[in-house]
Amino acid sequence: MTVSTGARPTFRQPAADSAQTGAANDQPISGPRRLGPESENLARSALVLRSAEFRKGREAGWRKLDDMVDRLEKKGLSTLSAQEVEELPLLYRSVMSSLSVARNIVLDRNLLLYLENLSLRAYLAVYGPRTGILKNLGSFIRRDFPENVRAMRWHMAIIFALLMVGGLVGYLLVKSDMNYFNLLVPEWLAGGRGPDSTAEDLMRTELFAPWPGFVDTFIVFANSLFRHNTIVGLMAFGLGFAFGLPTVFLMAYNGLTLGAFIALHADKGLTLDFIGWLSIHGVTEFLAIILCGAAGLVVAEKIIFPGEMSRLDALALHGRRAASVVAGSVILFFIAGFLEGGCRQLINNTPGRYLMAALTGLVWFLYFTKVGKAGENGSER
Amino acid sequence: MALRDDRVGALLEGITRRRKIIVSPEGVPLDVQISGRGERLAAFLIDLVLMFAAVIFIYILGILLIFSRTNASVGLTLILFIAFIVRNLYFLHFELAWQGRTPGKKTCGLRVISRDGGELTPTAVIARNLTREVEFFLPLSLALSLPAAGGAGFWQELTLLGWVLVLVSLPMWNRERLRAGDLIGGTLVISMPKRALLEDLSLEPPKEGPARTYVFTHEQLAVYGAFELQVLEEFLRRPKSHETSRLLIDVCQKICRKIGWDSEVPVTEIRRFLTDFYTSERADLERGQLFGSYKADKTDTPSPKAKRG
Repeated sequence: MTVSTGARPTFRQPAADSAQTGAANDQPISGPRRLGPESENLARSALVLRSAEFRKGREAGWRKLDDMVDRLEKKGLSTLSAQEVEELPLLYRSVMSSLSVARNIVLDRNLLLYLENLSLRAYLAVYGPRTGILKNLGSFIRRDFPENVRAMRWHMAIIFALLMVGGLVGYLLVKSDMNYFNLLVPEWLAGGRGPDSTAEDLMRTELFAPWPGFVDTFIVFANSLFRHNTIVGLMAFGLGFAFGLPTVFLMAYNGLTLGAFIALHADKGLTLDFIGWLSIHGVTEFLAIILCGAAGLVVAEKIIFPGEMSRLDALALHGRRAASVVAGSVILFFIAGFLEGGCRQLINNTPGRYLMAALTGLVWFLYFTKVGKAGENGSER
Repeated sequence: MALRDDRVGALLEGITRRRKIIVSPEGVPLDVQISGRGERLAAFLIDLVLMFAAVIFIYILGILLIFSRTNASVGLTLILFIAFIVRNLYFLHFELAWQGRTPGKKTCGLRVISRDGGELTPTAVIARNLTREVEFFLPLSLALSLPAAGGAGFWQELTLLGWVLVLVSLPMWNRERLRAGDLIGGTLVISMPKRALLEDLSLEPPKEGPARTYVFTHEQLAVYGAFELQVLEEFLRRPKSHETSRLLIDVCQKICRKIGWDSEVPVTEIRRFLTDFYTSERADLERGQLFGSYKADKTDTPSPKAKRG
C-alpha cells in the first residue's frame, strides 16, 4: 500500500469532473433542470470524488490497523501475532500520513473523524507503556532512584537544616520548661511519656521494653509505623504544591518533636540510650522523610521559580524525578518500619543499636553516592 | 478541517469539549478531547468500588487461609495494610499494564497520556498517582476525623484540610482539568470514544437508474461551504425515521430556495435529491480545496484567483 506523504498531494483530475463543470457552466443559473438526454450520460459516469478515491486505496489498511488496535486495547500486545507486531508501526505511520493528507483534501466528516480517532488510538497503542511495575523496579533501584536523589542534594540539605533547627528549638524549649513537652508532642505520639515519667519508666516501657512477640512487632507495630510514616512522607511531597509552606512546617515540626523527646530523655540522663533506641531505624526513617521533604521542595521551587520553561513544563520535568524519589522513599519507610517494629526490641542494648544504625547509615551512604554513577554520563533518560 | 474547530459537532450535538493538540513524535499534530469532570469522577468512583471489593476479598481470603486464629488488632492492622497497598498499587499497575487505563477509566472511555506527546513513562505514572494519597484519602480521613478532634487539634486539622482542599480543587481551575498528580507527572487525561468508519454517502448506490438523477451547476454549488456540507452529511446519516424525513423535507426546501431550484422535488425523491446534492457539493468543494480555495461556510469567500466563470 502506498501513501503519499506530501501535505497536498496531486490527484489525477477525473475526466467526469471537467465534463460536468463544462456542461453545467453552459446552463443559466436560475434554471431548474431535470436531466436532459445528453446529460443522461453525464450522470451515468458517476462523479469521482477525490476523497472517495483516496479512501478506496487505503481503507483496507485502516481497517486492518483498526482491528489490531482494537485487540491490543482489549487484551494487550500478546494477542497480536509476530507478523502483526512487525506490521503495527508501518500501518501506524501510514495512517498518520493518511490523516495529514485527509486534513487537506477530504470533506467527508465521518471519514475525517474516523481517521483522527484511529490515528490517536494507534499512536497510543504504539507509544503507550507496556511494562508492569516489576519490570521497571530493577532499573529503578539500580539507576534512577540514586541518580534522582543525587540531583536534589541541595534540597535535601535545606530540609536537613530545617529538621536541625526545629530540633534545636524543641530541645531548648523543653529543656527550659518541661511542660512544653505536652504542648509540642501530641498525645498519641507521646504514648504516656512526658515530664512525669521517671527514668525507670522510660527504661522499662520504652527503651528496653521486652519483645512482645513476632506478630505484635513485625506485623502490627511495623505496619502501623510504615503506614503513618508513608502518609507523612507523601504529605510532605504533595503539599509542596502549596508553595512548599506546609512541607516546611511539617519538617520543622518533625524536628521540634524530635528535639522535645531528646530533651525529655536528657533530663533523665538517658540521652545516649534514647538516641541509640531512635537511630536504629531513625537513620533510615529520617533519610526517607528528608527525601520526601526535598521532593516537595523541588515541586515548590518549580512552581515559584519555573526558570526558562513554562511553569507546567518545568513542573512536569522535575516533578517526575521528585515523584520517583518519593516512590523510592516509600521503600525506605518500609525498611524503617521493619527495623523499628521488629529489630529495635530484638537488639536490646545501646552499643548494638549504635552499631546497627551505623551499618544502615553506611549502606545508604554507599548506595546513594555510588550506585548508578556510570549511567549518569551516558544513557540518562 | 481540524477537530478543534468542529463547528458541526458544536451545532448539532452541542459538543463544547475542550480540546488540545499534542504532537506525535512523527510531528503530526493530533487533536485530543480533554476529559470532563463528570467522566473522571465516575471513573474514579468505579475504581474506588473495585478497590474496596478487592481489599475485602483479599482480607476474607487471608482470614480463611492463614490468620484464622489472630486477634482483632492484628486483623485491623492487616486490613489497613492491605488497603494501603491496594490503593497505591491499583492505579500504578493498571495505568502501566493497560496503557494508561484503569478499569474505571476503560469503562468511561478515558485514558492517561503524556502531555508532551511522548511515551507515557512509568515515572510519569508513578508521579501522577503518588499524590492521590494527599488528594483524596487524606482529605477524606481529615474530614471524617474533624468532628472528633477537639480544641487545638480541631484548628490544626481544619488548617490542613484547607491546604489540602486547595490541592483537591485544582482540576476545577485549569483548562485541561489537570489535578496535582497530572501536573507533577506531566500527564493529561483524555476522553476517547471509539469511532466507526461508515459508508461513504457519495457512493450510496441508487436502486435503479443512473448514478445521479440531479445535476447542479457550479454556481448553485458555490452557495454553500464545507460547514453546510458536513451538517447535511450528518442529517443524511441520521437513522431513518419519521422525524428524520421531516427534517430532510425542511432541509430540502431550504436548499432549493437558496440555490434557486424551482421545480418541485417529490417527497419520495428527497433523500435521492439531497444525496446527489451532497455528492456534487463535496466534489465541487474538494476540487476547490485542491486549488487552494477552501470555502469554510456560505459566508466565506475563497481567494479570487480560484473563482471561476
